[in-house]
Amino acid sequence: MIYLDSAATTYQKPSSVYKAVREAMASMTSPGRGTYGPAARASRTLLACREEAAALFQVEEPEGVVLTFNATHGLNIAIHSLVKPGANVLLSGYEHNAVTRPLASIPDLHVEVVRAPLFCPSLFLEELRRRLNHPVDVVICTHVSNVFGYVLPMEEIAALCRRRQVPLIVDASQSAGILPVRLADWGAAFVAMPGHKGLYGPQGTGLLLCSQPGQPLLAGGTGSLSRQAEMPDFLPDRLEAGTHNVPGVAGLLAGLRFLRRRGIASLLRHEQALVRQTVEGLRRLSGVQVYAAEEKDCQSGVVSFRLTGRDPGWVAEALAQRGIAVRAGLHCAPLAHASGGTEATGTVRVSFSAFNTAQEVERFLRTLGRLR
Amino acid sequence: MVYLIMCRSLTYAQRVSNALERSGIPARVLRSPGEISPAGCSYSVKIAARNLARALTVLKETGLPYLGIYVNTAGYGYREVEL
Repeated sequence: MIYLDSAATTYQKPSSVYKAVREAMASMTSPGRGTYGPAARASRTLLACREEAAALFQVEEPEGVVLTFNATHGLNIAIHSLVKPGANVLLSGYEHNAVTRPLASIPDLHVEVVRAPLFCPSLFLEELRRRLNHPVDVVICTHVSNVFGYVLPMEEIAALCRRRQVPLIVDASQSAGILPVRLADWGAAFVAMPGHKGLYGPQGTGLLLCSQPGQPLLAGGTGSLSRQAEMPDFLPDRLEAGTHNVPGVAGLLAGLRFLRRRGIASLLRHEQALVRQTVEGLRRLSGVQVYAAEEKDCQSGVVSFRLTGRDPGWVAEALAQRGIAVRAGLHCAPLAHASGGTEATGTVRVSFSAFNTAQEVERFLRTLGRLR
Repeated sequence: MVYLIMCRSLTYAQRVSNALERSGIPARVLRSPGEISPAGCSYSVKIAARNLARALTVLKETGLPYLGIYVNTAGYGYREVEL
């Protein structure tokens, strides 16, 4: 199979990830519940994962790296920590349901969307600046659109939020592992990311980078201050109730070490080269509408397209029958499709990882060309 | 005689232990004895008495926080060390 759905989950992982998960299953129990061998190994693995992530994402202390089940979990913690009933919230027009649905569960919010055309960062910043002249309690912004691969100008967005002293929550689901993600430089309150996409960890893992303690979404055992009825007030314990996904974290640690060895800049170059090849190939086909940035730095390893007269679901199914995995539809991001003008039908999305090759892209293009 | 460096969480205890080990001081993370952990479930780092001075230097250099240092004296249980 040619797997072109890494924006959902990277399917091929470094061999070290599979090995780490297997070894953890066989040799580790639950951290924080004892100091005997298997528990101590689990504890050391968790700390190593926090330290590796803290170094990669510029988190001052490893305690600020909270282990979550996925990015949605982290975003829910961040949102429920900062967004209170009646708050004024500003969103980009490219947010995922992992942001919009938690917001919909909080009463009396005033949610405004920064609307700007696709792949136009300067217009986005202009509109954001204008919106920030009005009272805003929290800004929530994705770093990269999961539908179009549009890279939002996060350095500038963060600078604007810092200047106006508005807390910023960043959804780094599509950028972590491929673009620089810097909690300290951005001055963001929280940055959420999954472990199972660009970090090459297993499903059921994620990270929430915190510059403040936050409000627990789950309460329960932490192996600390057990006589106290409330959750501890310190990280990471405050936001990590219950037993950890230790094999998952061990795999995530191996994924993070893989990124350190390969270097995220080289991975970005690799994926952008595949994107360019894809876009050029799609443009050569008749009846294909491609969503591509003119400037390469505006797009990461994701491309959306539509085939005239064909439902995206039909295209994805036809490709699947020919051994090519892509994703079609709204990608859990109707807001992004509304911003891109594709909400009526959705799109077909191809997305890449370190393990895709130019030959795979060529085969995908040939197969698509024969579908008409 | 051993000293316990009591930390507020397992994560901090591990970081203290790692920092000490990196400086050549044998250290072991253990659950704090109940008598010094009235709030229940905390973790400490055990070191030999002869390493206390060096350990304090490491703690100062790294800036790693700890809740207190306790000494176990035979027959008298644990008592906090005034530094």
